[in-house]
Amino acid sequence: MIADRHRHLLLWAAAALVMVALPLVFSSGASITMMSLMGFAIIFALSYNMLLGQTGMLSFGHAVYYGLGGFLTAHALNVIGSGKWPVPLPVLPLVGGLAGLSFAIIFGWVSTKRAGTAFAMISLGIGELVAACSLILRGFFGGEGGISTSRTSTLRLFGISFGPQIQVYYLIAAWCLLCMAAMYAFTRTPLGRMCNAVRENPERAEFIGYSTQMVRFIAFCASGFFAGVAGGLAAIHYEIVTSSIVGAVPSGYVLLMAYIGGVAFFIGPIIGAVLMTALQISLSDYTGAWSLYVGLMFVVVVMYAPWGLGGLLLMHQPLLAAGLLKRIGPAYARAAPPVVMLAAAVVLLVETAHHLLVKAVEGSAMRVFWVSYDAKSPLVWGLIVLLFGAGIWALRRVMPGVSDAYHAAAQEAQRLRSR
Amino acid sequence: MSACALQLIDLHKSFGATPIIRGVNLDVHQGERHAIIGPNGAGKSTLFHLISGRFPVTTGQVKLNQEDVTGLAPYLINRRGLSRSFQVTNIFPRLTVFENIRCGVLWSLGYRYSFWHMIERAQDARERTEAILEQINLGSRRSVPAALLSYAEQRALEIGITIAGGAGVIMLDEPTAGMSRSETEHAVALIRKVSEGKTLVIVEHDMSVVFDLADRISVLVYGQVIATDTPAKIRANAAVQEAYLGSASAEAEHA
Repeated sequence: MIADRHRHLLLWAAAALVMVALPLVFSSGASITMMSLMGFAIIFALSYNMLLGQTGMLSFGHAVYYGLGGFLTAHALNVIGSGKWPVPLPVLPLVGGLAGLSFAIIFGWVSTKRAGTAFAMISLGIGELVAACSLILRGFFGGEGGISTSRTSTLRLFGISFGPQIQVYYLIAAWCLLCMAAMYAFTRTPLGRMCNAVRENPERAEFIGYSTQMVRFIAFCASGFFAGVAGGLAAIHYEIVTSSIVGAVPSGYVLLMAYIGGVAFFIGPIIGAVLMTALQISLSDYTGAWSLYVGLMFVVVVMYAPWGLGGLLLMHQPLLAAGLLKRIGPAYARAAPPVVMLAAAVVLLVETAHHLLVKAVEGSAMRVFWVSYDAKSPLVWGLIVLLFGAGIWALRRVMPGVSDAYHAAAQEAQRLRSR
Repeated sequence: MSACALQLIDLHKSFGATPIIRGVNLDVHQGERHAIIGPNGAGKSTLFHLISGRFPVTTGQVKLNQEDVTGLAPYLINRRGLSRSFQVTNIFPRLTVFENIRCGVLWSLGYRYSFWHMIERAQDARERTEAILEQINLGSRRSVPAALLSYAEQRALEIGITIAGGAGVIMLDEPTAGMSRSETEHAVALIRKVSEGKTLVIVEHDMSVVFDLADRISVLVYGQVIATDTPAKIRANAAVQEAYLGSASAEAEHA
């Protein structure tokens, strides 16, 4: 027990250290911005997973609490700035959190009366409702221009202006760590465990003294609070909040982040948030079809790795502990060429099609992977078909071997551990 | 006569126009083991659902320790001291055996909807869970996900969750259904042990279990209780023999 607690503390200390050290390693402006985005994406994705992974509630409108947290934070910043109120910037995400919490209390009271599909539909409806309001209530949402604000006009503590991005990064990192720890602690409380029980079997939970509606409601409120904190940090980072933040796109995006990372594990949404943010920023530099890749990745994860990337990683943890990872190396290496072939085929197909459909005016000459070619050349299309065919054929041949190698190693690891 | 733990007063339940429970009156005494038997389709499970709050009552009253609980939600009835198991195993499949039981003890220990206690530090919840694991003999399986247990183990877990909250009235819906003879004997011993000092209401098809376990038996036929008495007198009751055993032998012919 004691050792377990120390191990946890050590893990959190390591996470804090990594967050402090990251800007020293990746010191370019672009990477500090990206890491800032990752910070509040992690909070947002984890808050979403309090619903989906822990309590079994599929929400299509989680951006409502994120976005309203952002708007309230921006308004608060403006009021504080113009009134010269003595409020320092670091506490402002709390305004976002309280805004998220308040709206979660209001909307959650209605929507958590139902579970399952009905809950999902109500969340979609509320999402659309708030998105529609954001275009009508121009005073609050700022119309098409949104609400601009300035984070530097608040009370300065220790001469920190929060003008430079690096200072904002550390503010976001501190809140991210705090929220991660709080949300992790939540999973280890009586209510956190009852959330799991309600996810597993709501009927039975009712017969051991718990109102499933109340469990869902409290989880929903907690989730709204943390989403609001994430929105507040986003407002501080961008210094502008527009109505698109409460819309269906971020609501869908947070679902993708959580799901791709893996909803069954606490670390899953963290992986998803980091990966998706990195992909969104770096991929969009290379290709206009980046969101298509993200969508494809989602489909592949749902079909072939329903436990998400986090699940795939954790599958290998017992092997790592038993020192058996190298045993599955050869089998995985055999699977690599067909996977690379398939990936190349997908990229070629998407890029060539995207070029022909979207950038037709630029002519049919294009470049992929440092190779220039003509998008209308039958050779290219033949290559795509060939890569797909050969890739699928080879993958189907090697996959049973990969699966056997993994299971043999996993069994061996279990045998070693039980000895 | 001891006080009534559970009292049903002219209970009716219809699904649409179809009456399933047609005026049940039943007194279950404090501390007795009371079995409800009857042919298939007599309404035994429906009666359980009515008492435990899963189905709304059409007319009539359910009283738990003299308090009217008719129409209350299942969790409210549970908090007033009635806990039930299910005919079809109803557990938390992806949680471990230990977590399954611990979820069952939380409310009764006053943790309610707490998100300000750390569950690992809740000594009382852990000790209570350990004690129950010991009782249901699943201590060695504590860290196994409940879905991976054998059928008999799952049935034991089902009983464990039911008794975990320390309710005074325990209702078991066919706890030995689908078990082998030796598994049934274990289950009966377990039920006898865990219902010590409590009120037990049990629905059971296995007559040897019923006559072995019950202090009193009620016979439910077509939504009405035709007799309530001690096992010996029920055995000798002509109306029961005709209604229940007659249709049971008809069932045997069908099977």
